[in-house]
Amino acid sequence: MRKLHLIWVTARMHIEVYKYPAWRDVIEIETWCQNEGRIGTRRDWILNDVTTGEVIGRATSKWVMMNQDTRRMQKVSDDVKEEYLVFCPREPRLAFSEKNNKSLKRIAKLEDPVRYSKLGLKPRRADLDMNQHVNNVTYIGWVLESIPKEIIDTHELQAITLDYRRECQQYNVVDSLTGLELTEGSKMVSVGTNGSATATATTREDDHDCHRFLHLLRLSSDGREINRGRTEWRKKPTR
Amino acid sequence: MVATAATSSFFPVTPSPDSSDSKKKRLGNGSINLGGIKSKTSSGNLQVKANAQAPPKINGTKVVTPPAEVCKNEDGVSFHPPRTFINQLPDWSMLLAAITTVFLAAEKQWMMLDWKPKRPDMLIDPFGIGKIVQDGLVFRQNFSIRSYEIGADQTASIETVMNHLQETALNHVGSAGLLVDGFGSTPEMCKKNLIWVVTRMQVVVDRYPTWGNVAQVDTWVSASGKNCMRRDWLVRDSKTGEVLTRASSIWVMMNKVTRRLSKMPEEVRGEIEPYFMNSEPVVAEDGRKLVKFDDSSAEFVRKGLTPRWSDLDVNQHVNNVKYIGWILESAPLPILETRELSSMTLEYRRECGRDSVLQSLTAVSDNGTDEIECQHLLRLEDGSEVMRGRTQWRPKNAKISGNVGQIPADTA
Repeated sequence: MRKLHLIWVTARMHIEVYKYPAWRDVIEIETWCQNEGRIGTRRDWILNDVTTGEVIGRATSKWVMMNQDTRRMQKVSDDVKEEYLVFCPREPRLAFSEKNNKSLKRIAKLEDPVRYSKLGLKPRRADLDMNQHVNNVTYIGWVLESIPKEIIDTHELQAITLDYRRECQQYNVVDSLTGLELTEGSKMVSVGTNGSATATATTREDDHDCHRFLHLLRLSSDGREINRGRTEWRKKPTR
Repeated sequence: MVATAATSSFFPVTPSPDSSDSKKKRLGNGSINLGGIKSKTSSGNLQVKANAQAPPKINGTKVVTPPAEVCKNEDGVSFHPPRTFINQLPDWSMLLAAITTVFLAAEKQWMMLDWKPKRPDMLIDPFGIGKIVQDGLVFRQNFSIRSYEIGADQTASIETVMNHLQETALNHVGSAGLLVDGFGSTPEMCKKNLIWVVTRMQVVVDRYPTWGNVAQVDTWVSASGKNCMRRDWLVRDSKTGEVLTRASSIWVMMNKVTRRLSKMPEEVRGEIEPYFMNSEPVVAEDGRKLVKFDDSSAEFVRKGLTPRWSDLDVNQHVNNVKYIGWILESAPLPILETRELSSMTLEYRRECGRDSVLQSLTAVSDNGTDEIECQHLLRLEDGSEVMRGRTQWRPKNAKISGNVGQIPADTA
């Protein structure tokens, strides 16, 4: 890949956490990658609590090869793929069963006007990684910035799906937008607040302890999309 | 040899005990210092247990368990604290750290190809939670430098260093059986609603570690005057013994209800005095006063700094390590790009919370050496001071080119 000036970029990331570990817990992470389609590779993870053996989380991700000069995705020959596929299991093994297709679900793009937003987010120096780009984990922090306080204070993140569309540089300024995700066929969410984001208008969906949001991170300057996402929140367990 | 070993670790066979590859060293469960943690699996190695636990769990069944009320390590390991309120709120930096460990595991898999045999001392402390050494007064813990702790200049950031210092400080108190509540308060302190607050911090970095280095952090406490405590740290490269960082801090007690500083009660002195080493400070006290300055003498001012969710710690306050990030944000770019922080002296004056809006002021002075010195002020909008500081910057070493496994930086 290096000879061809190719680098890996994350295209999609889906993480589910069933139980958050606490300080001093020891977790074990198992990870492997496998081929996916013509240009992609897939990496899966399973997280276990070492002491109890229970699965506390799972994740899956899709990566594509990008030419670092043209910044465009590139198809490669089988030789190039084989170089790394020798280290991958040949038997397909998925962290999420095919029946559980939350990880594959299409994420709708949020359109204006949006319910919640945090504008003008700037990358800090600490957000830059070894490649001088905004590390993709920073995006998750930005997505969380525009989640309403009443959710953040009482709920924990159950699942997050992110589609990475465009990279972000040190000098970019980003807007984080959040909207409610309406599930198909559910009762109409009684919003009735004419767009004003007040604390009282929470979703009245089927399961009222689980909240779902759609997210968009875009450049402040021209509105181009950096990534879009979807989060699910559950009420924090009492301890 | 490497390729076969790596591939065989992915195929669904249980590796035989006499596997020749040193990467697959199995760590015994019992031979852990401090009475150990009962773990179900052998720990610390990077084997992928292909299919070992997979089938029942890959069917998408969520394993949602009731919250564990019981401390998982209650089998007599004294240094593990009971689950206290410090575990109640998800620390946002913990969430992000959990997510970044997911990425780290990916990178570790690639590093497996070049993985060196485990160091003998890591076998004794396989989870890296640290242990007491040297007559019970010094606490030592090793930290592998993670990829997400590396900054844009290829070395661990000062925040990473500071996080290690915080972690070892707390683990020290924990292993001494003194960790009860409120992030470091002893039992007697809890009874009196007292918490520790840092008033002064001095850090000297001789060399910043890089990805893959293992930093060995030693820490101990001493008395400081009648009412304060001093905590010292010495960080070395665990492989070469080279000193990486030296740090010294002063702590005083504050009543968490009245928010007023408190003298050290005799009961608390009784609890902690046995642990005082009473050695000389590891960093010589910087006697120079940190002077106040205002907008007119500041060359750089950055306003409107607000804490992010991930900056808040368990107490809903901005963690003191974040302040350092803020002062660096307003340091002049030319200095940041060509120099590295060699030392800093910080005075903490006031806490700040989630709704605070801060300003960071920086003044640059030349002290006649090849090091540039900056004065810093972090304050709230109403002018009240949160922190004063002085930093020194030395020229950075030339970057090592052609790092294996890293993507060359994009030249913007």
